[in-house]
Parts: sequence; structure tokens; C-alpha cells
Amino acid sequence: MEHQPYRLAEEFDRFLGDPDDPGEVFSHARCVELDDKEEFPADICRRFQEWGLPEQYVPVEYGGRLRDYEQVLQLVRAVARRDLTCAIGHGKTYLGGVCVWVAGSAEQGARLGAEIMAGVPVSLGLTERAHGSDLLAGDVRTDDKAADTEGHWLVSGEKWLINNATRGSVLALLTRTRPDGGPRGFSVLLVDKRELDEDTYRHLPKIRTHGIRGADISGIAFDGARVPRGALVGAEGAGLEIVLKALQLTRTMCAALSLGAADHGLRLGLDFAEERELYGRRLIDLPQARQVLAGAAADVLLHEAVALVAARAVQTQTAELGVTSAVTKYLLPTGTDQVLADLTGLLGARAFLKGVYAGGRFQKVARDHRIVGLFDGNTLVNLNSLVNQFRSLARGFRRGTGDTAGADAACDLTAPLPPLDPARLTLVTRHGSGVMAGLAASVDEITRRAEQNPVIGPVAAAARRLLDVTTAVHAEMEEYQGVLTEVPPAAFEVARRYTLCWAGAACLGLWTHSTDHFGDDPGTGELWRDGRWLHTALDRLLVRLGEPAAAGEETYEELLGALRAARSSGRLFSLLPQRLPERQPVRTGAAAVESERTSC
Amino acid sequence: MPVPTTGHTTESLTTWLAERIALYLKRQPAEIDPDVPLAEYGLDSVAALSLCGDIEDDFDLVIEPTAAWDYPTVHALAGHLVEELAAEAAKDGGA
Ligand SMILES: Cc1cc2nc3c(=O)[nH]c(=O)nc-3n(C[C@H](O)[C@H](O)[C@H](O)COP(=O)(O)OP(=O)(O)OC[C@H]3O[C@@H](n4cnc5c(N)ncnc54)[C@H](O)[C@@H]3O)c2cc1C
Repeated sequence: MEHQPYRLAEEFDRFLGDPDDPGEVFSHARCVELDDKEEFPADICRRFQEWGLPEQYVPVEYGGRLRDYEQVLQLVRAVARRDLTCAIGHGKTYLGGVCVWVAGSAEQGARLGAEIMAGVPVSLGLTERAHGSDLLAGDVRTDDKAADTEGHWLVSGEKWLINNATRGSVLALLTRTRPDGGPRGFSVLLVDKRELDEDTYRHLPKIRTHGIRGADISGIAFDGARVPRGALVGAEGAGLEIVLKALQLTRTMCAALSLGAADHGLRLGLDFAEERELYGRRLIDLPQARQVLAGAAADVLLHEAVALVAARAVQTQTAELGVTSAVTKYLLPTGTDQVLADLTGLLGARAFLKGVYAGGRFQKVARDHRIVGLFDGNTLVNLNSLVNQFRSLARGFRRGTGDTAGADAACDLTAPLPPLDPARLTLVTRHGSGVMAGLAASVDEITRRAEQNPVIGPVAAAARRLLDVTTAVHAEMEEYQGVLTEVPPAAFEVARRYTLCWAGAACLGLWTHSTDHFGDDPGTGELWRDGRWLHTALDRLLVRLGEPAAAGEETYEELLGALRAARSSGRLFSLLPQRLPERQPVRTGAAAVESERTSC
Repeated sequence: MPVPTTGHTTESLTTWLAERIALYLKRQPAEIDPDVPLAEYGLDSVAALSLCGDIEDDFDLVIEPTAAWDYPTVHALAGHLVEELAAEAAKDGGA
């Protein structure tokens, strides 16, 4: 069955051209060159503008084309697959706009939407040099003591480590509007630099970084800048609330960056293993190499499944996004860093060298991806926010409550998505997780299917084990449900286990609700039939939960076969079909790469 | 176990809140001065959001998670809850 978000992403990818062709604007060669020179990919961003990518960041009610978050996920993933600097440098405009989408007036939304579609970069200014994740410590403030502040705010202070602070024209700025601060002491101001007196602000120099080296990571310092009163987004004092809601959306969408990076890394690992010849054999024929590749492939599909459910849940289960986003923003970046680390072992020296294998792209993607787990709420911040919700999550699981209808709709890829209603975003998930509450029903469903089709038996057995572990994890959560201040390391570990269980529940939900529609595809259907991708996904999760393995070598061998088949037929290795614009690889054995044969 | 929804006073809610917050902070309820902002006891703003779940559970009353931000002391919050409970009772009575 056709799935629209993948179709549009395929079309966009085709428009961008073959990345292996150095003549294309958005080629791998160009991205490596820009990274070396630490130069912003301005010409590539113009291609995005030509195609209309910015329209996809603007909700339809403000004149854009953003209706389904699942669509943005796949578009940004397509960019991230080639280059994370471009995905982060351009996608940041979505982050800049999101506070307005969440809480702005209709007029603000329409005006900002028009600017974004015209190509104006927008940024989000939360972080300050001295305060990092501690948003309420922010010192960027307004001065209400000055004489003439009737028509404007007087803003002073410095935001630092801001993506597009220099290139951007508009900045959503978290500002202290009450001197004593506190959760009601901050507001979001949509500051338009073009309207400011040039003497009242200055840009801070570009900060040199380990990855995404071409991105504009800089800062901005205000000194009594006169910002019109109309720049206020939502109510005065609502800044923290707006930002925390906006972050639920952006943290979920960060999945696109991890998916794209993993697509790229897996491709490089596979090509290397196919081409490299050692001791008279190809690397891909060595059992250890096969295991690494198949494991990485299993993780890539697991992450894709989680991201699909999470991106759809933005609209079907908006009130639970505080949980969904924290799970996603924890799991995908850390899981993808692990995939890249595993593949690093496979590539050996070629993961370390620049310019020797595939233009040094592997070391670049591994470097670039490191940032995804750091910004927009780092790994620990996300686990911490789950710990804060243990009380209601444990209670919800005990009672079987949560938005299960919303979870079912997220898992059924053929179900139409309701439009996002930002008013349903909430800082607390009140009645537990619908994805978790639906786990028992998914387990029953796969058990029922296994009775008809014994091949699924081991997958159903793994699902039952997942339910047992999930029940145990919720019991562990009850022990820490009173922990709201000094969170002990053991509670972080329980939160980590919770994310793995949630991922398992999402995978099971996705498979049980969607497999009947996607098993017939000539390319990707075999991944769905007999629960193949689900089997390896559950195996990966159970092992990470400290349980015995659930899938054997044969299952991984089949997955590896699917990975190789996707590559040789020009398809993306994914749960749903998507063609890639690259030419097929020509396999001529070792000769295609190098002729070293000795192990040195 | 839901508490009966009638007959709450600022005093009874103050006691309930002090106990609950003491539990969060691993302190004795007597240590919580009802007029001192919760933040000063180290209850950070995100943690304070969790109160709404307990309130819903014990009083069957749905309040904004950010109530603890708008009513930052035990006294202020108790006063807000009394009003909300009264409004709820009036709504139920009228139905
Ligand atoms: C390339 C790049 C781009 C960025 N872009 C933007 C942007 O556009 N806009 C913007 O506003 N910001 C941006 N940032 C800032 C980014 O969001 C911050 O780096 C982030 O908020 C964390 O701050 P910090 O790194 O200073 O670490 P800190 O918050 O100071 O953390 C230090 C340590 O404490 C740990 N820690 C933090 N909180 C907890 C907790 N609750 N429990 C346990 N441990 C904890 C962290 O894990 C870390 O190990 C960007 C950063 C980078 C590197």
C-alpha cells in the first residue's frame, strides 16, 4: 500500500538529485567540502526553498502545508540522510516558529508563516552561557523601570549557543519579564532583528564545533533593544509553559535527524562490507561483520517504527506528548549513536580516516549526530521528565487508563490523522500512556495470530515476555514515584527501561494494526510478513532490558538479506517503500575499493 | 481512595497539601510553612506540576497542572482548591 509521507519524501529526494553525483548542488562531495571549510550550506538551503520545504514547516491554518507531522518527519529525514548540517541548519526555522504555532495569535501566525515561506530563517533562543538546561535561571530580561516602555519592551542580556542566531532575522526569545523570575516570570517575545536599532544588539562570533561544523551556531547579545509590545507570544508570564509545550513537538521531530543519520551510516557500513576483501573473502561473508550489520539494520527499523508512531501520536494523542516526546528524544539519539558506534567497529580505520573511504563521510555522520542527543533537551533531561511523571504513569498502567484510542490511531498507518489542536498539549500526562495501556491487547492479538500462523509463535512469545517486563518496570516506577527533587541514578535507570518498554509497546501496536495493509508490497512486504521486523525489534529491546535473546541467527540473516536486497534495488531500507535517487552500486568485488589484502 | 467532595475547608486542604508536599520532599508536614513559596523548599517548577494528578485522584477535581505556579504557596493553593471545589459542587448541584 502507498503511504503518502514516503511518496512526498521520495519526490523531494528525487528533486534534490543523486547525491553521489558531485555535479549536484546537494551532493555528498559538496557537504564534505563545506564541513571541512566550516561553511554554511547556503546554496543547498536555496534548493530547499525552490522545492518549498519551508512551507512544510508552516501549519495550514497559517498558509503553509504542515498538516501531518509524519510528513515533516520523512522530509527532514531525507535531508538528514545526506547531511545533518543542512537538516539542522534549515530545520531550525521550524523550531523558531513553533512557539507561535503553539500559542501565538492568528495574526502573528499568518505573518510569521509568510516570512518563513519567503525563506526568512527563524531561530529559537532559550539557552544562556551560564545556565544550560536551567531555563528558569535565564538572565535575558526586560527592563520595566525605564521611563518610556509604553509601546515596547526594553530587552537586555545574552543568548548563547543559538542555531542561526546570526543568519536568522527573527528569534523566538525566552525572556525574563518579572525581575524575580519563577515559572510565571518569563515570556516569549518574537524579536525581529530587522526592526531593532542596530546599536542595541550584536551577534556573538560563530562557535566552532566538533560536528555540523558548517552550521551557524552563535549567539546574540541585546543591550536595551526596543522590541514592540506586539512581539509578545501568548500571555505575559506564560513563557515557560509555551516553551515546554513547544519542546514536546520539537523533541519528537528530532527523530528525523537520527533516522537520517542512521540511514546514511548503515548504507556506508553495508557498502564497505560488500566491497572490502580480506583474507580472500569479502567482509560481508565474515559472521562477525554480518552480525554487526544485521543488528544495526534491526535497530534502524526499530527506531523507524518508534518514530512513526510518535510522529502520528502528535496528532492522535496530543495530551500524552509529554511522554511520547521524552521517550523519543531519549531513545532515538542514544540508539542511533550506538548504531554508529557499532558500525564504527565494522569500518575499522575507515571510520577514522578522512577522504579514504566514501570521502570520509562516515566519520562525519558520526561526529554530526553527536549533537542530536545534546540539544533541545539532552538525554538526562528527558529521562528526568519521565521520572517526574512516574506517579501518573504507574497509576495509569495499574488502572489500564490512557488514550488507547489515540494510540490505536497512531499505530494504524491507514487511519487519517486529525489536525493538531495545540490547545490539547499539556505539561502533565494525567492518566498514563495509551501506548502502554494498549500493550496487553496487542499481545493478545499477536498470540491469536500465532495460533493461525505458527511461524509467528516466537514473536508472540517475545511479546508476552515484554509485557511481563513492562509490568515489572511499572512496579519499579512505583518505588520512585515520590521522587520529585533529588532524582537518584537508579530512577534514571528505571526511566531508561521504561523507554525501552514503551518502544516495544509502540512496535507491537504498529505491527498488529498495520501489518494487514503492508504485507503485500513486493519490496518491504517481507519485513512485515511473519512479524520479521517486529521479531528483531523485540529481541533488541529485551536484550537491552537484561532479558535473554528472543531471536536467533536465522532471523537476523533474513533481515540482512532484506537490507542487501533494498540496496541493490535502489530502495531505502525502511518499513515502507521509498525509492532513492542514487545510481545502483556496481559490485566488482574488492577491486572497486582498494587492493590491500594483508591485515596490518 | 477519593475523599468526599463536600465539606472541604482551607484548613483541611492545607493539611492535605502539606502532607503531600512533605512526601515529595521527604520532610515532615510540620516543616512546611503554608506561607512560604514551595520553590524555597526545593520543589522545582516542573515537579510542582505533578500535584495536579494527586489532586485529581483524591478529590476528583481536574485542575490546570500549572495551578502550583499561579498559587505558589500551600495557603494560596488551598484557597484556589476550595474555590474550584465549590464551583464544581455548584455545577453538579445545578445539573
Ligand atoms: C550545536 C548546538 C546548537 C544549539 N542550538 C540551540 C538553539 O538553537 N537554541 C537554544 O536555545 N539552545 C541551543 N543549544 C543549547 C543546548 O540546548 C544546550 O546545550 C542544552 O540546553 C544543554 O545545556 P548545556 O550543554 O550547557 O548543559 P547543562 O544543562 O549545563 O548540563 C550539564 C550537565 O548536567 C546534566 N544535566 C542537566 N540537567 C540534568 C538533570 N535534570 N538531571 C541530571 N543531569 C542533568 C547534563 O546531562 C550535562 O551532563 C545548542 C547547543 C549546541 C551544542
